[in-house]
Amino acid sequence: MATLDGSTIIGESILISGSLAGDEDLTVRGRVEGTLTLTRTLVVEPTGMVKAEVQVKNCVIAGVVVGNVTASESVEITREGRMVGDIAAPRVIIVDGASFRGRIDMGEVDVGGERSAREEGRPMARPVARPSLPSRPAPAVKPAEPRKVEEKSAAPALARPAVPPAPVAMGSVKRKVLVKTKK
Amino acid sequence: MAGIEKASAPRSGAHTVIGSSIVIDGEISGDEDLVIQGTVKGRISLKESLYVESSGVIEADIETANVEVSGQVTGNIAASDKVELKADCKVVGDIRAPRILIADGAVFKGNVDMDVKATKGK
Repeated sequence: MATLDGSTIIGESILISGSLAGDEDLTVRGRVEGTLTLTRTLVVEPTGMVKAEVQVKNCVIAGVVVGNVTASESVEITREGRMVGDIAAPRVIIVDGASFRGRIDMGEVDVGGERSAREEGRPMARPVARPSLPSRPAPAVKPAEPRKVEEKSAAPALARPAVPPAPVAMGSVKRKVLVKTKK
Repeated sequence: MAGIEKASAPRSGAHTVIGSSIVIDGEISGDEDLVIQGTVKGRISLKESLYVESSGVIEADIETANVEVSGQVTGNIAASDKVELKADCKVVGDIRAPRILIADGAVFKGNVDMDVKATKGK
């Protein structure tokens, strides 16, 4: 009896087409088509299928959702969850096994600061790396530098790490030559 | 008496509950019991029982096997088995069912048709 108050369940064989609005948690085991607006949590269970524009506070998807989901707090796609559509929410959780196709918008993401830091770091790394090529200290600097560059421009980054092995090869050749002359 | 019956028998089979703060505008269809505590506008068609609780408000045509109304219904009700209007309910619309029960205290305005087969024949 207690569970009946303040919780709405859409059973497996139920189809609701149209608009659904409410201020309480909603569990969908059946089908809902149209628009779905809640001020609380929507749970789409594995048997549930929602083909709707969804606007909620929290959304947990363990079933199928086709349509755009806007959540004021979070959207979680569980292992069984399948979704096609766009997500707009400050927190989006997609676990391993979930399938999703669409765009995700987490709002204002502070990417600007990180980018400028990377760009500053790159010119610093290059001058150090190039002159150090013939000398031994080069490999110590290398591992950090190529990773950063690879993210943005793969081609120049790949070309440079290929160079350092050359001196090693040269050294080995010299040794072989020395061995031959002794014999 | 009636409250106890309602609480035990139908609830075990009722998987679907439309809570009191929920508003549905559209169509509901299904093969299972449905309990409505909220608001539904549009159309309801079920193969099982519909329970409109005291907080429930329906502005829709209803087509089910059984209907039990404790809340408000505006619209026509067609049941293949039974329609029960409980005390304190308010129903406006036509009712068509082989068995119709109207309890003392129920408010009802509309036509009642119990002889389903006869009307079909005419």
